[in-house]
Formats: sequence, C-alpha cells, structure tokens
Amino acid sequence: MSILSNKSEKIFIYLFFAIGLFIPLFLEGNTFFINKFSTIIILAIFVMSLDYLVGRTGLITLGHAMFYGLGGYIFTILAPEYEAVNFWVYTFYVMLISGFIALIVGLIVLRTSGIYMIMITLALAQMSFYFFADSIEYGGQDGLFVYIKPETSIFGLNFLDLENETHFYYLCLLSLFNCFVFFKIIMNSSFGRVIDALKENPDRATALGYNIFHFRLIAYVLASSLAAYAGYLFALQFGFVNPSMMSWDVSATALVMALLGGLGTIYGAIIGSFVYEGLHYFIEHLTEYWMFFMGALIIALVLTLKNGMAGFLNTLSGGKRS
Amino acid sequence: MDTSLFLVQLLNGVQYGLLLFLIASGLTLVFGVMGILNLAHGSMYMIGAYLAYYFTTLTDSFLLAFIISGSIALVIGIIIERFLIIHLYKRDHLDQVLLTVGLIFIFNATQSFVWGNDPLGIEVPELLSGSIRLTDIVEYPVYRLFISLLCLLVAATMYFTINKTRLGMMIRAGESDRAMVENLGVDISKLFTIVFAIGVFLASLAGIVSVPIVSLVPGMGEHVLISCFVVVVIGGLGSIKGAFVAALIVGIADTYASVLLPQISSMSIYLLMALILLVKPQGLFKN
Repeated sequence: MSILSNKSEKIFIYLFFAIGLFIPLFLEGNTFFINKFSTIIILAIFVMSLDYLVGRTGLITLGHAMFYGLGGYIFTILAPEYEAVNFWVYTFYVMLISGFIALIVGLIVLRTSGIYMIMITLALAQMSFYFFADSIEYGGQDGLFVYIKPETSIFGLNFLDLENETHFYYLCLLSLFNCFVFFKIIMNSSFGRVIDALKENPDRATALGYNIFHFRLIAYVLASSLAAYAGYLFALQFGFVNPSMMSWDVSATALVMALLGGLGTIYGAIIGSFVYEGLHYFIEHLTEYWMFFMGALIIALVLTLKNGMAGFLNTLSGGKRS
Repeated sequence: MDTSLFLVQLLNGVQYGLLLFLIASGLTLVFGVMGILNLAHGSMYMIGAYLAYYFTTLTDSFLLAFIISGSIALVIGIIIERFLIIHLYKRDHLDQVLLTVGLIFIFNATQSFVWGNDPLGIEVPELLSGSIRLTDIVEYPVYRLFISLLCLLVAATMYFTINKTRLGMMIRAGESDRAMVENLGVDISKLFTIVFAIGVFLASLAGIVSVPIVSLVPGMGEHVLISCFVVVVIGGLGSIKGAFVAALIVGIADTYASVLLPQISSMSIYLLMALILLVKPQGLFKN
C-alpha cells in the first residue's frame, strides 16, 4: 500500500522532490536562490507540523510559533559558544526538550477547545515572546547568535558541511522529505485513524473507549517538536535567534499557508509555503506596503478557496473531493 | 512602597483596567451575540487612536476629533460586517481567524502608508490638563481620572442598555438562542450589524481617549488585543460582567507587577491567566 493517498499528491511529491534534488545544479553559484529555497523549505516543515495539528486533529492554535522560536533558543542556549557540536545529537536534544515543554503546555491548553484554545495558545506564545524579549541573559530583543555551526558527522562519516549553502539546502530538503514521510506514516497508522475519528466525532471516539485527551496530547507534542526542529534549522541558516520568531504573525501566516495549500493534506503545506512566499517575494518588490495586498489575498482566499491549492490540484487531476 | 505611591498605582491600575474593559467588552459582546472572534478588534483601537490624532492636529479640537473619529469607526464597523463578516456566520473558527488576520494586515499597511512608522502623540486637551492633589506631595493627572470616569459611564450605559432596553433584550436573547430569536421575527442580520458596529466603536473609543497619554506606534493594536484576550479568557468568553471584573484584576495586577516585580512584569498577566485556567478552564464567569 502506498502512503500517497491520491493521484495529484503522487504527481506533486515526485515532481517536487525530483526538481528539488536537481535544482542546485542549475543554480550553480547563485547562493541567493539556494538560500531562499532553504528558507522556504524550513518554513514548509513548520507549516506541515501546524497543518497536521490543525487539519488532522482539528486543534486550532495561534501559538505554534512559540515552538518554532523555542527550537532556535534551545540550541543556542545549550550549545557551547565557540565549539562545533554534533548536529544529530543536538537535533535529539532540541526535539526532546521542546517535546517536554509541549507536554506541559499541552496539559494546560488542551483542557480547553475551540475559540478558547485559539486565545490561550496565542497568549502563551506571547508570554514566551516577552520572556525572551525581556531577558538580559538571552539577549533581549536582539536575541542570541550562533557563532559556530554544528558538524554533521555520523558514525565517523561526514557528508555535509553546514557552512556550504548547497549542503545546507540538501539537509533541509532531506528534513522536509523525512517530515512528510513521517506524517504520512502516522496518518496511515492506527494512531492516525483514531486522530481522524476524534476529529470527525469526539463523542463517538470517547464512547468507543479512546481517551481523546491522550491522543490530542501526543499529536500536540509531535507537531510542536517538529516545529522546534524547523526553528533549529532556521537558527542554523541565519546564525541567530530572536523573539520575533515567536511573534503572533508568524503563527498566523503559517496558518494562512496551511490553508492556502489545503488543510490536513500535509503535502499542501509545501505548496502553501512556496506559493505564499513566492507571492510575498513578488509583491514586496512592487510595493513597500505588501501587507495590504497579502491581507486582501488572505480575505479573498478564505471567501473563495475552500479546499486550498491541494483541493484545486486534486479536482484538476480528476480526483474526488476529500 | 509608601501609601501615596500605593494609591497612585492603584488609580493607574484601575484606569488601565477600565480602558481594557472598554476594548474587551466589545470583543466579548461580538462573540457572545454573533459567535465571531474578531482578531482585528485591536486594529480598531489603533485606527481610533490614529484618526483622533489626525483630526486633532487638523481641527485643533480634541472634542471635534473625538466625534468625527467615533463616527468613522461606526461606519467602518458597519462596512466590515456587511461585506466581510456576514460570510462567516456559517463558517468555522479557523475561517474567522484567517479573515480577521487578513483585516489586521490591511489595517497595519494602511496605518503605515498614511501615518508612517514614527511614534506620534498629542498634548492633553487644555480643559483636562491639570492635576489633582491627592496628598501633600502626590498629584494625579485629571485626564486619567477623566478616562476612568468615561469608561465607568460607558460601562453603566452598557449595563442599562443590555438589561433595560428592547435592543438589550434582543442582545440577551441572541446570546442564549440565536435560531429562536430569528424564528420570533427579529431581524437578526440588522441586530448583528448593530452589535458589530458597537463592538468596533467601543474599541476605537478606547483608542481615541488614550491618544493624549500613549504614543502611537505600529503594532499597538496587537498588543492591546492580546491583553484583551487575557481579560476575556479570565472573565469567561461572552460575559460582559466577567470582562469588567477581569479587566480590573488584569489592570491592577499589571500595574503593581511593573512596580514590584519588574523582571517578570510583562509576563505577569499571562501567568495569572494560566493559574486561573488551571482552576477554572472556562473563566471566572462562564454563563
């Protein structure tokens, strides 16, 4: 059984990763675009984790950027300032610690639902924003800097040099691929089936004997620690973290991207990130007041496109509406 | 902290709390009656403030600016409800969030296009510019007292309107059973427009009256919005009484925290919220 659920998804995923693999060959030397693609791929990982949470489990959060920021901060705070640490070891640390924080936050926010959860996640994200913005120890508004990038040796083998833009790009692409496969496997597992059931009808899922709180908490922790992983990659690419990574508009924009791509489709997160960032890049070059047009676009999108780009592609390729 | 300083901080806390109530009551009213969470509510506060600034510098009269800005805010409210919010009544929370986030983007871009990103401000109007002597050494600005009184007046008017008038009756009915109100022949779409316009008006009113005492900066709307969320979550979503009590608690807690615990002052109200939620996940006054 394939983990790809329909024809348009299959076509998109094969095309995307095939192009993704070869594109640095055509961009030889153009580090601007390679960096831009890495940034969008990192964003896509973040959006994908949010898409799983909002689209599959039905938990709407406006505070997901908190974990994005935390991922960056956990790495910069833990890693010694002038010594290259191991990338894989710190990936483990970042995801473990952020997962633990998500567990505690989840115990509070998952007691609520719907509108309440939206407001509380937003307020908690804002709280951590102020925590870092006000702390002298963690650099306040300016944040912290990453002076030495980690090395990536594993079992004595060292393929990737993170100082090299193209190598970093491939690391991001690989991460996105793993993330996608991970979510698709989860969605097709029995765990994923329960998550689908409790989104459709929480009362019936409870009646069937499932503790929906536990399932939601697990989904919340998984999605949050993957968001933190994206934030960790962000910190590595740009060489700094600051509180604005946790700002509410990062969460809101990610929601827009997830919606743009098609909520709950997972691969739609990739489409949404690329389309949104592409438009952003384009409009930003035309006018300083790009937010006006993005705002109008978001409103138009909500009022017209119900199943996102993924739904649109699916209809094009003759699939059924899911 | 001596007694006089304590008193001044208390007055400041109450004043801030009452101002928060003005904004939060609009948010909670709109949610209670219409089931809409308007994230652009803070933007209305910002727009109110910038309009009041603009018309004060234009006409040299704060009172005139007050009236014009308030009227414009009402019109903006009606337009937004008629053209955008109207599509959301049968949609889920996520669509509400996204559409109102789109509105925030538009308002922020408009603000920075028209007024730029430098901080702006105006003088306290002549008539209200003095100070009142509280004790031998402590004075308190009249204008802040004026804000508190105005907010109390609005709170009293709201209480009267909701409990004693025909409009209030419809609002209360709309909060408990929307479908039934419609079946009884009340023009629900008109009611929704009125309620939404009132909500927008309340937020912009808070913006207008705070112009002389705050500096106008980009992003001021979001800051206020998030404080309002804390108020509304603590008070219980949809409860105006809850918003009143919670706004005072948050206002006073925030003011004292910035004096007594400056290290955690900007986090204090969120910690308070988390604590209250642990005990009462539905807020203090859930009806």
